[in-house]
Amino acid sequence: MKKLIIFSFLLAFMGCSDVVDFTEVENPNLSEASVVGQLNSSTIWLSGIERQLSLLVNEFVINAEIVSDNYTNVETFFNQFLDELAIIAQDDDIADLQFDLHRLREMAVFGKEQVGPADENYTAEIEAEYNYFEGLAYMYSGMYFTGLPAEAGGVPLTDAENYAQAISLFDAAIALISKPEYHLAKARVHYLLGNQAEAVSAATAATDASADFLRFASFDEQEEPDNTMELALYERGTFDDLQPLPTLDFLDPKYSFNTAQVDDPVYYLKAEEAWLIQIEAAIADGDLGTARTIMGALLDLVNARGTKSVDDAIEGRTERNPKSRPDSSCVVVNGRAGLVLDRNEVDMDGRNVLVDIPNISGTSLTQADIDSMTDEDTALEILYRTRQEIFIAEGLRMVDMGVKFVISETEQLQNDNVTAGGIGTEAQIPSYIQNVANQLDAITYDPGTCTATTVVNVTEILVANKADKAVLPFN
Amino acid sequence: MKKISLLLAMTIFTIGSIIAQRNITGTVTDNDGEPLIGASIIVKGTSTGTVTDIDGSYTLEVPSGSSVLMISYTGFNSQEISLGASNVLDVILEQGIALTEIVVSGQGSGIQRKRLSTQVDVIDAEAIDKLPANQLDQLLQSNAPGAQVRLSSGQPGTAAIIRTRGPISANSSATPVVIIDGIRVDNLNSNPELGINTGGADISALADIPVESIEKIEYIKGGAATTLYGADAANGVIQIITKKGRPGQQTAFFETRLGNIQAEEKWLRFDRTGEAIFEPGFSQEYKAGLSGGSEKFSYNVIGSLYKDDSFNDLNEQIRRSFNFGLTSNMTDKLSYTGSFSYTGFEYNLDYNANTSFSRFSAAEGGAFGNLDDFTDEDWEVFKQDLRDRGALTDITQRINRLVASNKLTYNILPSLTANLTVGVENRGSRQQEIGTNAFQIQIGSIPAGTTDQAYLNRSVRNVFTTSGDFNLRHEGRYNEFDFITIAGGNFFRTNDRQERLEGDQGVDGTSSVNNFSTRTSEDFLLENANYGIYFLENIGWRDLLFLEFGGRFDQNTNAGDDVGFQFLPKIGLTYNISDHDFYANSGISSVMNSLRIRANYGEATNFAQPFSQDRTFVLESFLGGPAFRFDNPGNRDLKSERVKTTEVGIDLGFFDYRLNLEATYYDATTVDALFTPDNIPSSGQLEQVTNIGEISNTGWEFAMRANIIRSGKHDLNINASYNYNENVVESSGGAAPFNVGGFLVIGTWVQEGQTLGFLRGTKAVENADGTFEFEQNAFLGNSFAPHFGSFGLNYSYGKFNFFATADYQFGGTNVDLSLLLRYIRGVETEGVVPEAIAGRPFFDLVQYFTDDSDFVKVRNIGASYDFGSILTDKLKNVRLGINMTNPFNWTAADFDPETTGSGVGNQNGFASGGFAYGTESLPRIIMGSLKFSF
Repeated sequence: MKKLIIFSFLLAFMGCSDVVDFTEVENPNLSEASVVGQLNSSTIWLSGIERQLSLLVNEFVINAEIVSDNYTNVETFFNQFLDELAIIAQDDDIADLQFDLHRLREMAVFGKEQVGPADENYTAEIEAEYNYFEGLAYMYSGMYFTGLPAEAGGVPLTDAENYAQAISLFDAAIALISKPEYHLAKARVHYLLGNQAEAVSAATAATDASADFLRFASFDEQEEPDNTMELALYERGTFDDLQPLPTLDFLDPKYSFNTAQVDDPVYYLKAEEAWLIQIEAAIADGDLGTARTIMGALLDLVNARGTKSVDDAIEGRTERNPKSRPDSSCVVVNGRAGLVLDRNEVDMDGRNVLVDIPNISGTSLTQADIDSMTDEDTALEILYRTRQEIFIAEGLRMVDMGVKFVISETEQLQNDNVTAGGIGTEAQIPSYIQNVANQLDAITYDPGTCTATTVVNVTEILVANKADKAVLPFN
Repeated sequence: MKKISLLLAMTIFTIGSIIAQRNITGTVTDNDGEPLIGASIIVKGTSTGTVTDIDGSYTLEVPSGSSVLMISYTGFNSQEISLGASNVLDVILEQGIALTEIVVSGQGSGIQRKRLSTQVDVIDAEAIDKLPANQLDQLLQSNAPGAQVRLSSGQPGTAAIIRTRGPISANSSATPVVIIDGIRVDNLNSNPELGINTGGADISALADIPVESIEKIEYIKGGAATTLYGADAANGVIQIITKKGRPGQQTAFFETRLGNIQAEEKWLRFDRTGEAIFEPGFSQEYKAGLSGGSEKFSYNVIGSLYKDDSFNDLNEQIRRSFNFGLTSNMTDKLSYTGSFSYTGFEYNLDYNANTSFSRFSAAEGGAFGNLDDFTDEDWEVFKQDLRDRGALTDITQRINRLVASNKLTYNILPSLTANLTVGVENRGSRQQEIGTNAFQIQIGSIPAGTTDQAYLNRSVRNVFTTSGDFNLRHEGRYNEFDFITIAGGNFFRTNDRQERLEGDQGVDGTSSVNNFSTRTSEDFLLENANYGIYFLENIGWRDLLFLEFGGRFDQNTNAGDDVGFQFLPKIGLTYNISDHDFYANSGISSVMNSLRIRANYGEATNFAQPFSQDRTFVLESFLGGPAFRFDNPGNRDLKSERVKTTEVGIDLGFFDYRLNLEATYYDATTVDALFTPDNIPSSGQLEQVTNIGEISNTGWEFAMRANIIRSGKHDLNINASYNYNENVVESSGGAAPFNVGGFLVIGTWVQEGQTLGFLRGTKAVENADGTFEFEQNAFLGNSFAPHFGSFGLNYSYGKFNFFATADYQFGGTNVDLSLLLRYIRGVETEGVVPEAIAGRPFFDLVQYFTDDSDFVKVRNIGASYDFGSILTDKLKNVRLGINMTNPFNWTAADFDPETTGSGVGNQNGFASGGFAYGTESLPRIIMGSLKFSF
């Protein structure tokens, strides 16, 4: 009997070994084999790269805007150090920005080398996009860092070397298919390098292809990434994280509630920039007439971009520190009226009055301003003020100010090719910007007389130092 | 006719039996003549028995032919007494010495405590019974001398940070493994991966571990004590042993506890915060149980119902539990013990800490300005607004937990026993948050009149764990040596399945996701199996000197492909010097009657999160379409981190154990520590957990128990403990410092040469000339308090008992985030920072928002009186009690350092604490209790 029982148990155990195997586990996530070698995977990979670009845009926009004079950071949620231009290698946000730049590059390279070639439906257009995104990774590396490696643990490249890589990749994309944004990206890099002729050539190619094109990073409110800048400017409601300089109040919030599914996009390459490059080249050439003409066309384009009606009453500029920020249309800033909006007006039915905010490009530029561009410095000041307005909340003002970050400590500690004092380990802050670091977004405000004044005028400072290579590249 | 004959025979037999029975009466007392209430008296070889009443008296009908009574009482040595001619039998039981107590945890099979070189904290049923707590962490707090238990919020169902010998891991929480009758149960002490974030205070699975039927709790603190568990036992093991009933007469009991719950308002910045949010609550608990049995079969059944409506105007919790335990000696050789428990737990939460939805943190953090500046009229309006927000808040949690344990013991030979334990646990939880349009309008996040922006978030988690253990235990003797050999194998397997549903753009009036116009979902799975074989040899020499050694070959499915079985060794030595004859005969023994030294070395591990060794990709949903991305980079060499612990200790007993002192020194080094620093950014790859760190913890543990008064009916015992831990990250393997909690401006970090989770931020250093310099990323304090302990007293006078428990900590630093927020918001600026730098950006000033986290807190004060029988003899052992929870406390700072709104980043991630922020303190509860048996 005992033997029978033992035999029965043994039989059951052997017959049901799968049933009693408690060590079998299965990772439900995707392995490499599910990505490489699958039909249409290059298209899905490209969407992933687009998504990665949105993550990158989130990183550089919020931090670059805090660095610049565009906004002051009054809450704790976003970076507090950069507002004072305290650029240090240990800054987490700088590490995150660096990571997202490299990740964009790695994703583009993986697409080009692994995913694309293994997909039967791989096209020249997808390949061009892979090159374009890889080029963007190098372009932004040059824009925001004094030096960055081009591969994991690699030797840091200078910003000029990163720009050179970007140009060759944009050329590779253009060789496959011509898109205006490819030309504009190339124009921007040449502009930043001070290569005026090449910049104008590429900018003209862009506007020739389309006079009003837009390339944008999209944001998924539901699935993420949502638009971080929109979070700071609007969605966090009573947390008034970022307060604009009063001269830019009429442009805020550039991003606001769109739908429950998508956030407002960030137009990171738009035709306006191609026109601005051409205007700056004309000024540098002393051809102010051409500059004014193109400026007029630019004004028409900006005015045609339109506005978005926003209920911004919740923002309450003065909620926590009463009378600390201008919040009335009566306010005159630096002697200019009409730059500050009423956000708490209610109509006769008690409903909040909506404010109209430009959501692609906006400017306070007038024909009178254009007409006043009769000498080089005045023209440059109006041009750079217009650049500031058109590019607000897009992360470009910091670049115009000549400020660049350092390689993060996380990289420095793990990359033997990064040496103390070597390429990329020192921040770039022009002395004339450093001197006013604590006053960049400082204002004085007297609500009684409806007068606000910025403590410094950064645009003026930039033009005064136009000879410096770090700013106004054509001068 | 046959039937009539049978009936007649039975009647005669029964009458004969009655005639032959003897009525034995007597008392059972201790050495001092104090009655022992509830002592068990059984007629040997029968199921006949009884228990003593309030006076220690008993009456027992003993059948003819039976002549031996077995008398037993927890904590006392049992006796078997042959009946003589007298029908009166008074029994005096000797108090058992702790060293003869059997310890189960960490040994594979029960071993006498005196043979062990490792320490175990034991909390017995009597101590547990006194406490009004219904959460495991609350039971441990101030009752486990070596444990630091910090309850992080007064919100129901929230987690405690539990720690013993410092932070040993940067990869996981310090929560010990929890085992119920040999079966592993879910001990997740953080929000689940897909859990709903209510701002800060994390919910905890510890909150619904069944505690109604505990015989005792054993708490072992890692090192050699936990080697045999392998896997993830380096943080220690808490083993709950449930009641299985005792042979004897069937008894039933009923207990009710009714209490008043008051918010602790001591640390509020604004009294008006309390006025708006707090209102006294009422708690009620009803427990009933039945137990009894014979030598062959005993059982214990307990059911309980608990409900309170808390101190916060919106919180409410309901708990229902049922526990069943049994022992069956099926044959002379085969016995079975089993237990089954069910807990149902429902509660709702308020938003807290780091969310703008939180009324409490917004009010205390100055988001509404200075509440004291409101005019009375304005305040009444705003107070109502806050209350309306509370009324519209809808965050609920539902949990159902089932644990079943089965143990078979077979005595193959008198010296050889086989033990098999198999069991399962299933814990299902559902969190749900509904943000109605009305709620969102009330808090100002959407404009009035909106009707289509309601949302619903639901997180469902189901954890199923299977545990099994088989071992053989052999006992032998050779001359002056005796041997206990245990060899076996065990496994456990956990499946943690989570799903999250989200509905958006809905109207009000529904809790079904089907009624929301957009719906999304996601899932998450953790699956792991751990298994190994172990052996343990415990050699005794003349019952004086004990050598134990053993080890475990451990394997788990969370390791990388290139990692095989891991061997974890242990060895220990115990020397009971006072058991020598020469010592017993010396004069010293009359003063110091017990002297014992012990030393051991052992290794224990913590494994990484399942699947973190694999290289993976993710398909994201982006703008309605698919989008790939890189995910986990993968690590083929990933293995468990290993904690190597050496400890030495001495145990002293004075004046016949009336004063007991224990001291232990430990040195625990975590090698191959699992760190997850940021990957090198230029790789573009996400962080990957790797075995690159080394963490050192050294420290002292002292415990004292003393019987101060033992005179007549007076009996006063006191206890105290002091623990000191020194922690340092010896190596970060070249990785950059990484953040494990808090914020960018001031956070908790892992950095070589610093304590694990130290506070890092800008430090303002004053120069001699009154100017300041600012040192970025400076050390601002330890988030852990390195000095901690507990103390208490227990006094009885006859049938009256009084007890108190308290605990303390010092040497740590916390950030007062509410003050920081009030400062930033301009609500509180006077005298907060030195005037010379008052204009500086606040991130240069963060050190001025830190303060000592020292505290002394009295956790419980209780008194009870045993009335015996009241009204009728059938109502026995009537006990009336009163208990105050959290009645008194002292803190160095103006905030409660225990509450922390800084949640744990990842599921089961490192819990640093260190931030006093935005959540309510534990309430003050006054509770009356009535218990009687029949």
